[in-house]
Order: sequence, then C-alpha cells, then structure tokens
Amino acid sequence: MTWSRLQVPVLVVTVLLLILLPVDMTGIEIPWPGLRSYGSLNLTRWLVIAVAAMGVNLIVGYAGQETLAQAAFFGIGAYLTAIATKAGIPFGLAFLGSAGLTFVIGIVLGFPALRVQKHYLAFVTLAFTIFVWLVFRNEEWLTGGVSGIQGITRPSLLGLSLRPPLYFYWFTLAITAVLMCLMWWLIRSPWGRAFTALRENAIRAESLGIDVRGYKLLAFAIGSAYGGMAGALYAPLVGFIDPSPFALAPSLLFMLMVVVGGSGTLMGPVIGAGIAVLLPEWLEVASSKITSPVLQHLFSYLLVYALIVMVMMAFCPTGIVGLVQRIFTPKRRPHADDKGPTIGTATIPARGKP
Amino acid sequence: MKQTFARALSLVVAIALAGPAVAQDTIKIPNIIELSGGGATVGTNWKNGSSMAVEEINAAGGILGKKIELMFVDTATDPGKARAGIQRAIDDKPIAIFGPIYSGSVSATLQMTNEAGIPQIIGGEAGNLTTQGSKYLFRTSFGQNVSMPKIANYIRDGVKAKTVSVIYVNNDVGKGGRNAITKEFESRGIKLGADLSTEAGQADFAADVVKLKAANADAVFVYLNEEESARFVIEAKKQGLDKPLIGETTLLGQKVIDLAKEAANGVKGHVGLTVDAPIPAVAEFAKKFQAKYNYASDHNGIKGYIAPYMIKAAAEKAGKLDAKAIVEALHGLTISPDKTPGILIEATWDETGEIDRISFLAEVRGGKQVITETLPKLKK
Repeated sequence: MTWSRLQVPVLVVTVLLLILLPVDMTGIEIPWPGLRSYGSLNLTRWLVIAVAAMGVNLIVGYAGQETLAQAAFFGIGAYLTAIATKAGIPFGLAFLGSAGLTFVIGIVLGFPALRVQKHYLAFVTLAFTIFVWLVFRNEEWLTGGVSGIQGITRPSLLGLSLRPPLYFYWFTLAITAVLMCLMWWLIRSPWGRAFTALRENAIRAESLGIDVRGYKLLAFAIGSAYGGMAGALYAPLVGFIDPSPFALAPSLLFMLMVVVGGSGTLMGPVIGAGIAVLLPEWLEVASSKITSPVLQHLFSYLLVYALIVMVMMAFCPTGIVGLVQRIFTPKRRPHADDKGPTIGTATIPARGKP
Repeated sequence: MKQTFARALSLVVAIALAGPAVAQDTIKIPNIIELSGGGATVGTNWKNGSSMAVEEINAAGGILGKKIELMFVDTATDPGKARAGIQRAIDDKPIAIFGPIYSGSVSATLQMTNEAGIPQIIGGEAGNLTTQGSKYLFRTSFGQNVSMPKIANYIRDGVKAKTVSVIYVNNDVGKGGRNAITKEFESRGIKLGADLSTEAGQADFAADVVKLKAANADAVFVYLNEEESARFVIEAKKQGLDKPLIGETTLLGQKVIDLAKEAANGVKGHVGLTVDAPIPAVAEFAKKFQAKYNYASDHNGIKGYIAPYMIKAAAEKAGKLDAKAIVEALHGLTISPDKTPGILIEATWDETGEIDRISFLAEVRGGKQVITETLPKLKK
C-alpha cells in the first residue's frame, strides 16, 4: 500500500469522523459522549486556522515563495466581515467580499513584492503586516481602534441560526471541506503543476514557457484569499475582534504550522494547525489535572509545546506528513529498480509500483 | 496518517474527558487570565493574589463549609483563546468565573457568561465593559468611567489647571482612558493641550517631552504603563518640564518610584487601589504577599485577592453556593472589612457590577507615595 492510495479513503473516513465527533452517541448504543461546547469551539478554531494555513501552504509549499502577511489577510477578512455583517449585509456576501478583497490586495501587494526573492520577499510581506496592523489599530472610525469591534453575530443558514457552537462547527467544517477540495483540484490542475515547476526551478520553468511572474502572483493572491476567507469565518466565531490576533507573531505561527505539518502536502497545514491550536489546549487541560505542584511546573504546557515543536523540527524537517509518508513508503533504496532493469533480473516492476 | 490520526483522536478524547467531575466538598472556580503573552505580569499577580486568598479561606473552613479550588486557564492575552477558556469553564457550570483582566478579553467573553448566567469577576477597567448589558459582570477595581471623573475634578479643583496635555499608551486601556478623560475635561471647561499617543514598551520619550513643553499646558496627564511612566518621568525631569505631572494609580505606584528614583518626586494624582494605601489591612496584605511570593504585589494582586472574598461574602449572604443566588446577592451588596477582612477596603457593587469604594489623592515625596486626601465613596 502506498501513501497516495491511502489518501482518499483516509480523507473520507476522517471527514465522517469529524462530523460525528462532537455528537453524543450514547443514545444509539455507542459509548461516545460527544464533545461539549468547548470541544466544538476549539475544533472550529482549528478548522478556521487550517484554512488560513492552507493558503500559506500554497504560497510557501507549492509555489516556493515566502509570506509573513497571512495574519494581515486573515485580519482584513475578519474586519471586512465584522463591519459588513454589523451593517446588515448577509454573511455570504461578506464572505465572498473578503475572498475577493484579499485576492485583489494579494495581487496589488504581490505585483511589486514578487520581484524580489526569499528573505527580501519575507521582509516586504512583514512590512505589509505591520502596516495593516497599524491601520486596524489607528483608524478608529472604521475598525474601532484598540477597543476592537464587539457583538459580531453568527449567520443563519436557511433560517437556522448557527449560534450553537455545534452548528457553527458543522458549517465551518463544510466550508473547510469545500475549500480543501478546491485546493486539491487546484494543485492537480495545470496551474498547480506550474506552481510546483517554479518552486523546483524557476529558470527551467520559464524556459518551458511558463509565465513565472503570472503564476507567482496567482499563487500569492489565491493563498491570500484563503487567509481572507479564514478571517471571514473567524469574526463570527469569536464575536469580537481587535488588532492583536493579526500582528506579526501570528503570521510567523502560520509559517510554523505549514512547516511542522508538512509543507507542500495537502494535509500538512491542517495537521500543523491542529498542533498549533489543539495541542496547546489539550496540554493545558492535561496539566491542569495534575495536582502535584512540582510536576505541574514540569508539565507547564508552554514548555512541553515548545519542546515538541523543537524535537519535531530536529527529527522530521519534512513535517508530520513527511514522517508518515516515510513510514508508509517501503524502503526501496537497496534495490536498484529505480535505475531500470539490471542484468539477470527476470521481472521488472512497473514504475511507481512496489 | 494512522499514527497522526490516532494521536489526534486521543487528543480529542482527552479534551472531551477533561471536564473534571466536581467533587462533593470542593467548589471549583476557574480563573481565565493572562498567564503568558503581553499580560503575563498582570495575570501572574492576579493568580498569586487569588491563590493566597483561597488558602486563607480554606484554612478558615471554606465557604459554607466547602473548600474552594482554583483552576487557572491561560488566555495567552488573546481574546480568541480567552473565549475558548470561558467556554471550557462554562461547560462545567461553576458558581463563578474569575477573569479575564485585559479589557479586550473581557469584551470578547462577557456575553457568554451573561447567557450562561454565571457571575464573572473581572479585572478589566475599560469604561464600556459595564455598559454592554451584562447582568453578570462584576469589577474588582474602578472602571475608567469612575476614576476619570475623579481625576478631572482633582485637576480642576486641586491643581486648578485650565489646559492639560495628555500622554497615553496606545492600547485598549490607554486609549480608552484618554477618551474618557478628554470627555471629562470638555464637560469641565478644561482645554486639551498636546494629545500624545505612545507605544507600549517605548524607550525614548525625548520627542514627546519636547512636544509637551511646546504645548505649555498647565498640567500633564500621564497614562502609561509602569516602565514607560518611569522613563517618561526621568526624561521630563531631564528636559526641565516644570508643569505638574498628574497620573492615575500607575504613575504613583512603587514600581515607578523605584525605577525613576528622585525624578518621581512631585508626581501627583489619583490612586484607586494600591498596596501603598494608608490602611492597615492593605499593608498587611502587601506584607503577606511579599513574604509568600518574594516580590511586591501591584494592584492586580489586590484585585485577584478580593475576588474569592467577594464570592464568600455573597454566598454567605445568599446562604447557598449557586451562581444565580451569588449574582443576586452581589448586586447592591456592601462588603465591609469588619465582617469580611479579606475585602481590605469596604466596597459596594451596583446593578451593573460597577464597584464603589474610597480612593486617594496622593503625591510622591522623598521617594514615597504620600496620601494627601482620601476621597469618599461616590454613594454613601
């Protein structure tokens, strides 16, 4: 069994489990009490952050660019949705508006920014993040300044209010699934192939007739739009936004998620977001149950979290998905079948099959 | 994938099973506070203060015969995480929730406790917190809507200033304070001089002092964090800014005096809650805190300390440990140190959860905060 064959069934089962996870099933003879509101709320946060991380993954993992601006796009989506829904505009329109606006800003920022490479590109996006954060903070007439925007309501769907955490979780799960399928389609489309080509070797890609600049811009703008859509979901989830979650540090965290999860893989950012959102929560819950004060200090969740991330970076730089792939892919280096037939072998395995 | 999934599943199971069953004779009170990130100092003071109070309460037999156990959840100074923490607390249906302390995180969570019907004892001081319609919010210190009018009165009657410059830190508390005080100035006919925004953690105040000197107002209202206050005061002295520097609580605190040394002398202002208050109970608290944690508490330590005593007094008045009953008891309740020594200073809560108690006008003289006048409670 190879990883690529497992991917689809595993994905389907995972989505099914995610739908049922918070539901109390003791009524139908399954010993699973479901999750309480706290669990649903955290799962929703995880999905929202995962959508933003998927955007970063497209830019960093597939197109080989850098971005420290995802928190800014996340914020633009959140503020636009908050302001729009408070003004009575339906959530659906606000969501699409957030996607559109961040896409356009992505192009406008990317046009000059993508002329430079690597660290310089990171610096340009970093400057953009700080600029956007200052706008959030200082343009009080629009964003409420440091006091933020309060009382952002959750939308309703076909007359059903999404206020209960469980319903909003399902809603977010559905949107995340759609966005994930879109991403899956995108990276298998000619566009996605072009992204990968320019990541691997931009000069060669250009010599093959790929419009390097155009594709870089496209990857950057789509990735940024994912940030905007995640922000549009974040605003009604939290119900209150102020500039702090959209500063520089969260942008770095988005990068960390992609790298820890496995950059350039579909599941990488989702798993990375899980580690960034769910693992600290769980560690904190776990450490709060320890009664001995000495052990509690040792189990201080920040410490454990930092350690896990460091160990992971040291021992699986390809991220968790890379680690899993290594486990599931049979080692075939000792056999020379990659180099084609050798003298005296009767059977030649077809390429790509074990 | 299998491994990751198993890990994810076990993680989720752990979250699901995390809500610990409430034991019969201990009552759990969750604290959702800033234990890391920008508010870590504030949250740690609160944590130490409330822990100390609970130890005392438990040693004296608990509340209505039940022992109290505090749980601490870190918000990482992030409103989103604060919301998750409050949700986790609400799922357990506690009799009360303590925190958050940062006003932004309080704003993000106050509707949740209001809907769940659980009293939320907060450390936030932004003026708008008590105007958002929550019936379950209780302050542990003055909101800016209470402290700023007192300062404005002092500037008008005590300092007799006609124009005042304002220098504030640009975060939710600083900006909120600046907006509140300028409104009070306006209604008292005091003109605004320079209006300077500064950054949290700002190191150099030279340019700001130059602007203040140019504005030449009768007084300067300083609304900065501790370290920045000290830096500002030193710079003002250096450049010979000779107008009175007026502050609210922080500017006259021991931390600023320690850092600014003689430059702090002559600083005046209003002090809401302070370990330097000329009240034996507060001095006793400061001594105990210092002995236990080996550093001096700030006003957040006091806020954390009185929170469990608020619950104790309210529960004893209501006669039961029940969220709704505690809320009803706390509205309009006056807790006096005669009956509940841990409250330190007599305090009254109104229907919106606003706190009323005495406060002080003070001045720094010879490296010490000297109380010059005790301001009475607003309502007798």
